Amino acid sequence: MARQQYRNRIEILQGTLDLLVLETLRWGAQHGYGISQVIRARSGEVFQVETGSLYPALHRMEKQGWIESEWGQTEQNQRAKFYQLTAEGRKQLVRDRSKWETLVAAMAGVMSPETGA
Amino acid sequence: MSSWRRFFSSEAKRSELDEEIAAHLAMAEADNRAAGADAATAHHKATAEFGNAALVKDVTSSSWGWQRLESFAQDARYAIRQMRKGPGFACAVIGTLALGIGAATAMFTVVDRTMLRPLPYKHPSRLVTISPAGKDQRLGFQTSFPDIQAWREQAKSFEGFAFYRQVSGRSFLNVDGTATQVALTQVSGNLFGLLGVTPQFGSGLRARPDTLAVAGDDHTVVINDLAWREIFHSDRGIVGRTVQINDEPYRILGVMPKGFYFPYNSITPQLWSPIQLGADDAKRSYASQYQVMGRVKAGITIAQANAEMQQIQMRIQKSIAQPDWAKDIDHIKMDPFASIGADKSTNHALLALLGASGLLWLIACLNATNLLLVKASVRAREIAMRGALGASRWRLTQQLVIEGLLLSMSAALLGIALALSAITLFNHLLSHLPTAGLAPFAGIVAGLSPRVLLLLIALTVISAILSSAWPAWMAARSPIEAALRQGGAQSGTAKGQNRLRGGLVIAEIAMSLALLACCGLLLRTIYALRHTPLGFRTDHILVANMEIPTYRFAKINAAQEIYMPLLERAQHLPGVQSAGLVTEVPLGNTFNVMMYLEGDKAKGLGTTSSMFKAATPDLQKVFGFSILKGRYFNEHDTPSSEPVAVVNQAFAKAFAPHEQDLNKVIGLKLMSISNKPGEKNENTKTTIIGILDDMHQWKIGVQASPEIQVLPDQVKPGSSFYAILEGVAMDLAVRTQRPPSEMIPQLRAILKQASPELADAKFSTMDQIVEDSFGSQQLAAKLLEVFAGSALLLCVAGLYGLLAYVVSQRTREMGVRFALGAQKEDVVWLVMRQAGVLVIAGIVIGMGLAYGAGRLVQSFLFGISAHDGWTLAAVAILLMICGGVAAWLPARRAAGVNPVEALRAE
Repeated sequence: MARQQYRNRIEILQGTLDLLVLETLRWGAQHGYGISQVIRARSGEVFQVETGSLYPALHRMEKQGWIESEWGQTEQNQRAKFYQLTAEGRKQLVRDRSKWETLVAAMAGVMSPETGA
Repeated sequence: MSSWRRFFSSEAKRSELDEEIAAHLAMAEADNRAAGADAATAHHKATAEFGNAALVKDVTSSSWGWQRLESFAQDARYAIRQMRKGPGFACAVIGTLALGIGAATAMFTVVDRTMLRPLPYKHPSRLVTISPAGKDQRLGFQTSFPDIQAWREQAKSFEGFAFYRQVSGRSFLNVDGTATQVALTQVSGNLFGLLGVTPQFGSGLRARPDTLAVAGDDHTVVINDLAWREIFHSDRGIVGRTVQINDEPYRILGVMPKGFYFPYNSITPQLWSPIQLGADDAKRSYASQYQVMGRVKAGITIAQANAEMQQIQMRIQKSIAQPDWAKDIDHIKMDPFASIGADKSTNHALLALLGASGLLWLIACLNATNLLLVKASVRAREIAMRGALGASRWRLTQQLVIEGLLLSMSAALLGIALALSAITLFNHLLSHLPTAGLAPFAGIVAGLSPRVLLLLIALTVISAILSSAWPAWMAARSPIEAALRQGGAQSGTAKGQNRLRGGLVIAEIAMSLALLACCGLLLRTIYALRHTPLGFRTDHILVANMEIPTYRFAKINAAQEIYMPLLERAQHLPGVQSAGLVTEVPLGNTFNVMMYLEGDKAKGLGTTSSMFKAATPDLQKVFGFSILKGRYFNEHDTPSSEPVAVVNQAFAKAFAPHEQDLNKVIGLKLMSISNKPGEKNENTKTTIIGILDDMHQWKIGVQASPEIQVLPDQVKPGSSFYAILEGVAMDLAVRTQRPPSEMIPQLRAILKQASPELADAKFSTMDQIVEDSFGSQQLAAKLLEVFAGSALLLCVAGLYGLLAYVVSQRTREMGVRFALGAQKEDVVWLVMRQAGVLVIAGIVIGMGLAYGAGRLVQSFLFGISAHDGWTLAAVAILLMICGGVAAWLPARRAAGVNPVEALRAE
């Protein structure tokens, strides 16, 4: 069923998506559309952030207290909901980042023997 | 946060999410246009990239964590919509359940009031009544003071003993010129302490610790809350005030808390004053005796305490001076205090009726289940569709159960209304119960005690579960594909489900039969009671039950100064044929005097305990009873002529057991009615002048007791019988030419003229008194009529519903049958046969139930056996006829199927 598939993907992406969103917000408040554009641009168009994952993640992180939201105006005079990091969110970003670095290093360690014997 | 506000804020949050997503789309669209796309393409591209907006909203909002609550609200809204769509169906289910819930709630309210109210004392289960008794411990006697003192000294199993006696006759409290009848009880000084209750203000009673009594000049009194509110208008300043009770001054010490009563619960204001010991209390005697209660120590069982008391009583027998009746009091009868005033037969009746109402409730639930099963099978496609769209089985069940809950909650509200109106309707019958009729039943809040509310909630929830959970689970469990594939309205439910519904109808019929059988037995009982020859006429008789101010009448010759002039005036009222006075009319059950008469053994006379009444000559004209031998009193019997007595046949047999010829009983001498206490004057003995045919005195169905009647004006003031025969109760019975009720105002005026207190007399007709004497049987019969009638209605509706549904499901089959040459009669027979199987199966099972139920109601029956074949047969035939009627309509419809149309619908 369709809904079930969405849910699965959210779960798979959850760790990384959170990290990506938090990292994006480190540079300042941003609305949902902006976040998805930034991630897309900075990943070299590799990451297509599904709105079906992004919005639930934003609302969940807001409930967890990592980010907070406020309605504001964009440069094009569009009313939009802006998210920004909280103190708790910054701590979470540090934790997630170090977890991620450990993961990358570990993966690299495991993966490197490709050229060896 | 209240759930309503949560719900509200979730609405706000939803619209915020809508706006957020709209902003996303707007920005994407704007970017697309900036990249050079035209308006339409830009919009299309943005929407496509975004994906399914509705789904995004749904998934996002689910992260808010309010889903469960919202789904409940949504289900409730959906359920209300369903109810509005099919109001007939909703009304049928609500009405059915309301009937069941209402009946059970009403019965439980009554049972709660009469039987479940705990005594208003501390740890009431350890309170017992103690009385000396003979070896068989059947009858307990009152206790004389020396015994009480001995018990207090010797018994180790008790925290203490308290004793009391009710002041004989009627007591009146006189405040500012208004006399109010009160219940005055003399109690030992430690009574309130033993009960563990202290006054709400003021002090309790004070008494000497050694005797627990007070000196003769100590007139103090503690009053109950009702007396304080109604007589003293809740005046807190009454403590210390002196009031007149029976013309003697008493000082008020305190007011007991609301709800406190002792020894019985009653609507009469209750007063308690300390016991004053008299000369009679020095020895074991008949003259001064008390009721005794004790509180058993914690950790000691009642049986242990009882064993100790038996031993003590044996010891006392050996050590204290022996009266000649000592053998009657060498054992102890001990009962829980809670059992005094409890009427076993009424309690039994109430429990049986509670069971009956429970049965009706069960029938109602089964009927509702049946209705909801039909509904569920009609909605099978809708439910399958929802399942196909992703609703989980649990979610579907939840929705259907909430529908059921909503239905049964509406039913509960309606049920409360039904219960309250039923209680109001039956209030007259209920007022004969020991305590139920007392407090105002009209008070709705008072009627619904926490226990009753709890039961109501339980009934509501269980009704919902019984009637809807099952259909819901069945519906949610059925395979989706099949329901969707089968399409048309005639998808045909599984055979198993029809069999299940058939089973429910059989159960309904069986239970209804049991109720109908009990109802039939009670109705036959009432019929038998009504047609038992009473031995006197009951029509056109008005009875005034007078409240006699004992303290005033004791000082005068009441017969000469009040009763006879009163009777004279009543006899000369226009419209009055005859009038008589009697201590208590037959079946009145208001007051009676029993006397123990020991005949001379040497002359072959027996010993009897018999009813003792004072009656005037014209009583025979009023009631028209017959004299077997001799004569009744007449105008030649005057205060100065020879004292005479009339006895009934039962007395003659008991008093002269060896005498075959009743004529010889006439002329025998009885006790004296003019001797003062202690005086022995053989010449004043009364002579038997006539023998009455036996009449029912207590209750029809109970054999007549021996009875002695004397003339009120021959009983001399100051004699031992005067006070009890003339100073407590007197009924004025009047035979009228006009309808009795029209005479009440004139008679009341005459009573008031005779003595102001008599104006409060209660009037009733003799017909009503006879009706009222049926008491619990009447109550049981009336309620069972309602219960059994409702049950019959429900099971007929259930049977009709099932058959109508089956026929509607089988129109195609009927069409085929007709096409193949079946006759209308064949199809009618087909449906009737199916009904017949259900009804017969129900009746067979019901017979078994009725057999068991018959044993439960056995104790109320009169003139009929509990397993009366005719009643059972009549009930079975009634059910068959009703079943036939219920089946006939669907059968006709089946027979009216047009084969061409039925097949074309294919």
